[in-house]
Amino acid sequence: MGRRRRRNFAPYLLILPSFIYLALFFAWPMFRSLQLAFRRESQILAVYTEIEGGDLAGRLELQTDVAVLNRERREETLPNGRTRPIYWFQIVGENSVGETVEGWVNQRYLFIESRTESETARVVGGEGAHEWTLDYVRRMFNDHNFWRALRTTLLLLVLILPLQFVLAIIMALVLQSQLKGSSILLYIYAIPLGISDLAAGLVWVSIFRQNGFLNTFLTEIGVLDSPYVFLSANNQEWMLAAIVLAEVWRATSIVMVIVVSGLQGIPRDYLEAGEIFGASLWQRLRHIILPLLKPSLQVALILRTILAFQVFAVVVAITGGRVITVLAYETYRWYDPGDSGFNNPNVAAAYAGFIMLISLVIAIFYLRTVRTQEEAARE
Amino acid sequence: MAEIRVENAVKTFGKVVAVDDVSLTVHDQEFVVLLGPSGCGKTTLLRAIAGLGMVDSGRVMIGDRDVTYLPPKDRNISMVFQSYAIFPHMKVYENIAFGLKMKRASKEEITQRVKAASELLHIEDFLDRYPSQLSGGQRQRVAVARAIAVRSQVLLMDEPLSNLDALLRLEMRAELKRLLAEINATTIYVTHDQIEALSMGDRIAVMKTGRILQFDSPTKVYDMPADQFVGGFIGTPPMNFLQGQVRRENGAVQVYIGDFGLKPIPEMEPLLRSYDGEVIVVGIRAENMEALSQPAEDALPVMVLVVEPLGSQNLLTIKIGDDVIKVSTHPDFTVAPDQNIWIRFPSEKIRWIDRRSGKTLIPNLEELMA
Amino acid sequence: MTTVEERQALPQPTRARVLDPAQRRALRQMKLRRAGTYALAIGIAIWILLPIWLIGTMAFSPSDQVYAYPKPVVPVPFSTETMQFFLEYEGIMAATQNSIVVALVTLALSTVIAVPAGYAISRYIFPGRDAFRLGVLAVRAFPIVILAVPLAVTFIQWGMYDEVYTVALMHTALTLPTTILVVSSVFASVPREFEEAARIFGCTPVQAFMRVVLPLVLPGIAAAAIFTFVMSWNEVFAATLLTIRNRTLPALILYTLNKSSIQFQYAGGFFMLVPSLVFIFFIRRYLFNMWGQITK
Repeated sequence: MGRRRRRNFAPYLLILPSFIYLALFFAWPMFRSLQLAFRRESQILAVYTEIEGGDLAGRLELQTDVAVLNRERREETLPNGRTRPIYWFQIVGENSVGETVEGWVNQRYLFIESRTESETARVVGGEGAHEWTLDYVRRMFNDHNFWRALRTTLLLLVLILPLQFVLAIIMALVLQSQLKGSSILLYIYAIPLGISDLAAGLVWVSIFRQNGFLNTFLTEIGVLDSPYVFLSANNQEWMLAAIVLAEVWRATSIVMVIVVSGLQGIPRDYLEAGEIFGASLWQRLRHIILPLLKPSLQVALILRTILAFQVFAVVVAITGGRVITVLAYETYRWYDPGDSGFNNPNVAAAYAGFIMLISLVIAIFYLRTVRTQEEAARE
Repeated sequence: MAEIRVENAVKTFGKVVAVDDVSLTVHDQEFVVLLGPSGCGKTTLLRAIAGLGMVDSGRVMIGDRDVTYLPPKDRNISMVFQSYAIFPHMKVYENIAFGLKMKRASKEEITQRVKAASELLHIEDFLDRYPSQLSGGQRQRVAVARAIAVRSQVLLMDEPLSNLDALLRLEMRAELKRLLAEINATTIYVTHDQIEALSMGDRIAVMKTGRILQFDSPTKVYDMPADQFVGGFIGTPPMNFLQGQVRRENGAVQVYIGDFGLKPIPEMEPLLRSYDGEVIVVGIRAENMEALSQPAEDALPVMVLVVEPLGSQNLLTIKIGDDVIKVSTHPDFTVAPDQNIWIRFPSEKIRWIDRRSGKTLIPNLEELMA
Repeated sequence: MTTVEERQALPQPTRARVLDPAQRRALRQMKLRRAGTYALAIGIAIWILLPIWLIGTMAFSPSDQVYAYPKPVVPVPFSTETMQFFLEYEGIMAATQNSIVVALVTLALSTVIAVPAGYAISRYIFPGRDAFRLGVLAVRAFPIVILAVPLAVTFIQWGMYDEVYTVALMHTALTLPTTILVVSSVFASVPREFEEAARIFGCTPVQAFMRVVLPLVLPGIAAAAIFTFVMSWNEVFAATLLTIRNRTLPALILYTLNKSSIQFQYAGGFFMLVPSLVFIFFIRRYLFNMWGQITK
């Protein structure tokens, strides 16, 4: 039809606030993060081959001591129209990688005792020079903790996910079998959804501690004679086990919720048809429930994988962060301006960028999955 | 041999009694229809027979086996679901083969039976498709094919045609009937569509609020409804009901509608005698009355309210006393609203119904003969 | 476990009758399986509840019990000493207050911003709707807390560092996508016909929304808001990065972890999971709205 539809602006107005908010506090920091990771922003003195121009001869870092080879007095016009004298110095010094840099700089970047006499000076100023650099990223990759952290993060992922999925599916099936009191069960099974990783860590520390409940229990049933030190630096397997248990305990609920939603989407008739045609419980699970649940499982898998790269407080609570480290903790440590941190936001941003990159790749998978699922549902 | 016997089945959901002490015997290879309005418990009863919802008390026998507590897979049954329940993630072939696979039939047997079933349903060209690529009618055929492929002795069908459009339903009805006659399974078929029930079933069990009101052949259910509900539920239009006054005059019983006396058949007289002086419900079907344009001595004068020409018949709405009833006439019978016509009631077609119990009075023939 | 024969309560044979062996076996199997399901259900419930109970007993034991070994499984004697020690620890009350302020600001911001967006997604069809929705889905999947690093740097530059409300700003970014999706699914569960009917009978669109839709969606939105609160209350990473002196409770606990006593850890751990115990109860019905829509 030739009639033009009048555009309705209402929905755009309605989504505008969230759009702006996400642009400000999601897109912008993401961009800033990349900037931090790949750009050196420190003040660096640019040295030129000629006075007031010429080519860049090199860069000197702050606090570099330089020799003054030559000087020249010029006039500088102030905004009020008056002029004042300004000196240019030809200097020579070593840059950060040990190369000799020689050239001319303006007096205001140097600390010099006498403008006319002194033979030495020190670089005290510079421009906010932006320099693209891979130094921070390199520093991250060269840090042996990075590889340890990556390995542990992946190891935890591999250990935790299968346990979580099996447990989540069992929990979901139990909830769906309409027992008496299933409302209470749902509540109990969902409690961990609201428990922070820090609290979960503390809970499991209390169990694994030397004077904790696990030792009490094991001594009680006669497995141990005296309390065993589970959480010690020499006992990384036990630390890892404690982390796995804490994460399975805390984060299985979210998978369960996704699986239950998926199960609710399976018409009861399918399962009944399975029963009528002679499928046992296991056969129904394998041939009907799991295939139909595949979309939900995919979604859960992707979300859990991304979340696994953010594991943080559980590890800190159980290990103190030193013995076993993970990517998120390294990020924190590089940022931390306190005693135990490195106070280097740039390397921290590189870590953040790395986690984002991995998540981004997984998230793209996620969106493609969701889209194909929605298209399939539309057919 | 697969006779199905339900004995004193009771099934409640909370406070709702869905199946209320029902007993039912379906003979081997018989086709029985469970008919009733929604919520009457027919589906619950079917599911109890299937093993999908266990009865609270009573028992279910299939063949000689008590299957009350057996899970569905051990009952040797198959079923067509209302929603078809064709698995969306399996191709048509896999769907039809599903039951056989679960029973661990051999590969050759599966191939051969799927082929046979799909040919019987004319879906052999779709075996490679997914259900989402099929039309509603084709899915229905897949559901039936899956059910008959396992060749169980008992076939249960839960409103299998209700999701089809009218034309397709008509076509499938005839085809299903032919098919079911061929496969010799004992069949229980649930529907709320009385036409389906009348046209397909060997016997019909009419249900209401968890009870079976009547369990008879289609003609019997139609012609001699057990009570006022069955008469009013079955037939288009449903059976008419009038208020009549029973009077005994000179030894003979007559039922008066206003001043007009109806004379019952002799077999009914002994039964009606006890209603002397009371009101009784007179039931008669629209096509069993005779409409006359001229007065006759044995015909009741009435006024026409509405005339509906339906092609094969003219359906008249007429008023008798406080009751409004329908009369169907030959299409050539011309009449206009507000005109007077005369109605003749053939005695043998009248059903007499107790006003309080709603039950049809049925003469005890043995007693009469004695 | 989801077998249909188990959905309904077990039948009670009203009349005693002799069952043949096959029937007896079937009945026994059914009962066994049912009992098995219950056992499994209870087992999982214990797996979840036991650790909470254990740390709870420690949090409510006197301090000598906290250090004692072997551990009692019930807090005898019951005492608030440990809990008191924690709550009186320097900075804990202030941090708790900070946490509550942050969570409330997050809740308010997130709800106010998310409700219109959720409504738009569920009620209007407009060019860009799918893109926006998928964008929100992607953002939710994204590790947003990691963005605390650049944000902290930016806040330092802008002179906004170490302020409690910056944590709330960050947490809003974290919770907003989830809230939008929950709210839109809650709106989607109210038939559009309700609104249309209200308008037919004389309401303006705004009136129709206020009088018909809002009362129906309010519980769902409240659930989303509560979940927002819990998410904010629990968040550690961003809170640790964005504050130094004005720490939120988790940030303070994490920060003091290495120097703190066992008492502090037990009581702190338990104190932190109390909101979960309370709030999840109220929102359990709505949990599936958060994730269910993806696959529908």
